[in-house]
Amino acid sequence: MSTRVDRNIYPELQRFGATDISACFNCGVCSAICPLSADGASFPRRMSRYAQLGLRDQLLSSPELWSCYGCSECTESCPTQADPASFMAAARRYAVASYDRTHLAYLLATSRVFAGVFVVALVGLLAAFMYSVHRPADGSTLAFFEFIPSDFVHNLGVVAMAVMGTAALIGLFEMVRRVLRRPRPGAPKATLRKGADAAVYAVGTEALAQTRFRKDCADATESRPWYSQRWFIHFATMWGFLGLLGATMLDYGLELLGVKATGTAVPIWYPVRLLGTLAGAALIYGTTVLIVRRLRKSDRSSLHSTTSDWTFLTMLWVAGVTGFVLELALYLPTAPAWGYPMFLVHVAVAMALVLLVPFGKFAHVFYRPVALFALRLRG
Amino acid sequence: MSEHEQDPALAPASAGRGGAEDAPRAHLDVREQAPESANEGMRRPSEGRDAAARRIGVYVCHCGGNISDYVDVQAVVDAVKGEPGVIVARTTMFACSDAGQQQMEQDIAEQNLDGLVVASCSPKLHVVTFRGVAKRSGMNPYEYSQANIREQCSWTHTDDHEGATRKAIGLVRGVIARTRLTEALDPLVVETTQKALIIGGGVTGLRAAIGMADIGLGVFLVEREPELGGWVGKFGPMFPHEREGRELIAHLVEEVRKRPAIKIFAGAEVVSKAGSFGNYQVGIRVSADPPETISAEVGSIVVATGFDSYQPAEGESGTGLDGVITLPEFKDVIDNSKDNLRYNGRPVRSLAYIYCVGSRQPDGNQYCSRFCCSATAHISIKVSELDPKVRQYHLYRDIRTYGNFELLYTEARKQGAVYVKFPDDAPPVISVDKSGGLAVTVRDLLSGDEELEIPVDLVVLVTGMVPRKNEEMVGILKLPLGRDGFFNEIHPKLRPVETMVDGVLIAGACQGPKCSAESVASGLAAVTQSASVLKKGFAELDPLVATVDPDACTWCGKCLTACPYGAIAQLSLNGREVATISEAGCKGCGGCVPMCPENAIDLRGYTDGQITAMIDGLLQEAMA
Repeated sequence: MSTRVDRNIYPELQRFGATDISACFNCGVCSAICPLSADGASFPRRMSRYAQLGLRDQLLSSPELWSCYGCSECTESCPTQADPASFMAAARRYAVASYDRTHLAYLLATSRVFAGVFVVALVGLLAAFMYSVHRPADGSTLAFFEFIPSDFVHNLGVVAMAVMGTAALIGLFEMVRRVLRRPRPGAPKATLRKGADAAVYAVGTEALAQTRFRKDCADATESRPWYSQRWFIHFATMWGFLGLLGATMLDYGLELLGVKATGTAVPIWYPVRLLGTLAGAALIYGTTVLIVRRLRKSDRSSLHSTTSDWTFLTMLWVAGVTGFVLELALYLPTAPAWGYPMFLVHVAVAMALVLLVPFGKFAHVFYRPVALFALRLRG
Repeated sequence: MSEHEQDPALAPASAGRGGAEDAPRAHLDVREQAPESANEGMRRPSEGRDAAARRIGVYVCHCGGNISDYVDVQAVVDAVKGEPGVIVARTTMFACSDAGQQQMEQDIAEQNLDGLVVASCSPKLHVVTFRGVAKRSGMNPYEYSQANIREQCSWTHTDDHEGATRKAIGLVRGVIARTRLTEALDPLVVETTQKALIIGGGVTGLRAAIGMADIGLGVFLVEREPELGGWVGKFGPMFPHEREGRELIAHLVEEVRKRPAIKIFAGAEVVSKAGSFGNYQVGIRVSADPPETISAEVGSIVVATGFDSYQPAEGESGTGLDGVITLPEFKDVIDNSKDNLRYNGRPVRSLAYIYCVGSRQPDGNQYCSRFCCSATAHISIKVSELDPKVRQYHLYRDIRTYGNFELLYTEARKQGAVYVKFPDDAPPVISVDKSGGLAVTVRDLLSGDEELEIPVDLVVLVTGMVPRKNEEMVGILKLPLGRDGFFNEIHPKLRPVETMVDGVLIAGACQGPKCSAESVASGLAAVTQSASVLKKGFAELDPLVATVDPDACTWCGKCLTACPYGAIAQLSLNGREVATISEAGCKGCGGCVPMCPENAIDLRGYTDGQITAMIDGLLQEAMA
């Protein structure tokens, strides 16, 4: 079956931050140098070839897009300065926008103004919605769940999660549908056993353990200590977020089980509180380093930052920092005046972050493991 | 590497013809050694000299160990040193080394030798070297003979040392036997006419004419078309300098007209050629009213007749469909486009170039036409300059923008042209789609063999150069053709513009696909080559030619038909009709010798007597 070439894809990709891929003459140095592009695989080269010819379907059905951890080794080696690493990142944004049927992801990725206004408005709306049910608070100590009833926050969170989950499932469905529609000849037949192996690999080895990011994508020239290396910054950010998500869930779980009502004062060593504190510190460390590196353009993988990068990182950082400050404030002898407004901001940003997962950079948390699963299954 | 896959930058000539090996000297004789001559053009080779009284030196070379590892060189020397006439017989480590040559020179002087035999490598490699040794020592160079005991013995019989040695002894004996019958020969000297004929008034011929005139040679410039200029005269901007071809030609024509030494014959053709190197008489038919034929005396002839563009057959790569055109046709379109690109009145918003149409085909022209990749990249840039929105697809097998032309390729891509590499065995298919537009279906190797459909407004078939149809001229000049149909030079590196016909030179794209810069360069090479023989006023030719014994000749005319060079004529001598052979016209091919029923023709250097003696010498060993 032949595909009609469509050169309109190129200006479209440029809106997502793609560099001048017409400079690419398909020499394949990028694929050869890529630590993740195994024998027979030909990303990033083939991805940029798809874009040159406007092979939209082929591009959007390539799970290889999600193999890349953005080390930028290819860009460094590219003889024509076509910047394949930036192209891969742009292609992922393009994919996220294409799998999303609401057009929201497209607008968030391509318009700085829209992204700014939308995120601020969403946070404001959520804050205002919560404020509309607030109760006068006792001034002596901070009691957030007196201020806004915990039920209300929990229910709002559940709704946000449900909305997010639905959108994520739709996006995943779009991706999987495309990947399946283009079966590779010669790919081995999938079995349950292989499926289990691929799942363990994608979620465990690659996503949670970050094994390949750590081992294969390490910059050979990087002489930084381990806590400053790219993989660890990402690792800290990811586990920080997962830890906080876990702490929040556990806290909610404890209330559901009647062990502890949300908002009950606990000592700092209380397990759930301790988990939240450590995770929060990790998240703040990770996001701060990420932001500083992007601002300073201090390494090759942080040279180009787009609206998607800034929106995502800023929300993560604000959610992390406000949460951490609020926790410290709980142990202050007197309640500070900024306590309740900051609480509103924290919860609203966290909710917005969750709601926007499928529409921005955060979407990689589910697209990447599924894509890696598909690639592993393919062998 | 098959011929059509040669690097085009390294293939100056029409690709892949046999020809001589690379040789260390530019003026090698392609024939082998050449002792012997006849007195006054008569045969009877041994006449006047007592073969048994010859004083011959024999040198058997070790060639390091190349020979002596397999051939017992001392045994060879021992076997031949008692041969009649052999005064000196030695082994030598490297006959061609300074020490080896000095030893020979010393022996020739001290022993008063009059014949020299070296048993070593192929004469192709060192016949000139050892003729030089003879000449420096006061011996006639044609008294030297070479036996090839390396290629013919040691290298071929590595498994049989004894057999190799026996064969070497036989070969050396044969050569010694022949050397007893050699005669001193002198090069033939012919006076030369200081004028040249240039056939073809394109960029090559025009520039060569100017070069000839400036070096002081008269020129007859013959162009078949009524106008001078050829292909380049029709072109607009050309790569890599962007100057218009039309303007370039106008400038050259102006320069040609400034030089009274150049006589221009436009609308004219060469209809006859007689004479021989240095003194050709050519007939030029000028299509005037009434047509007249002019006779011109020239010393050399430069053929610069150019090329034809490949014409695809109906149906080949969509030929015949509206909107499918060849590269020269598109060049004409783009050269004459102002504001926007249109074809047949329709705007062109997208176009596809199909490369290698008619070139590098297993069942057609196998050669690479060399200029087309660069020319198409250049045209693509021109299209982008005219209208950057035109989408251009280059469908290719390999891109060969050699040398600096790589920059054109890079620039074309920078302007947005997309290059699509298709498999050799699956050329693009051009069809008309449902809407009546053109569609090209092609497999893209770079995206993992995706089949693409490209809707386009215009398809340009990138057609190459093919030999021009010139049978009449080829017949008159006896020009040798290569397998590809282009004219054949003697040696692509060492004698790049000379042909097997002395004094007939080739230049430009008639020799094989070339861009205009390369064509002009070869035109100027032909000027230099002409000047190097014509400016002296005389030329020395090899004396290894056929001779007739007039007493034996009965003028049956059989030799006349055998001669491919027209060197034999009828002569009245003492009331008898006999054949006579022009020494300057004869190439020494020997074609006439076996045709003669009276055995009246002999070939200097290869006389019957010498060959018979050689066979006897060789057989002496075989019989033993």
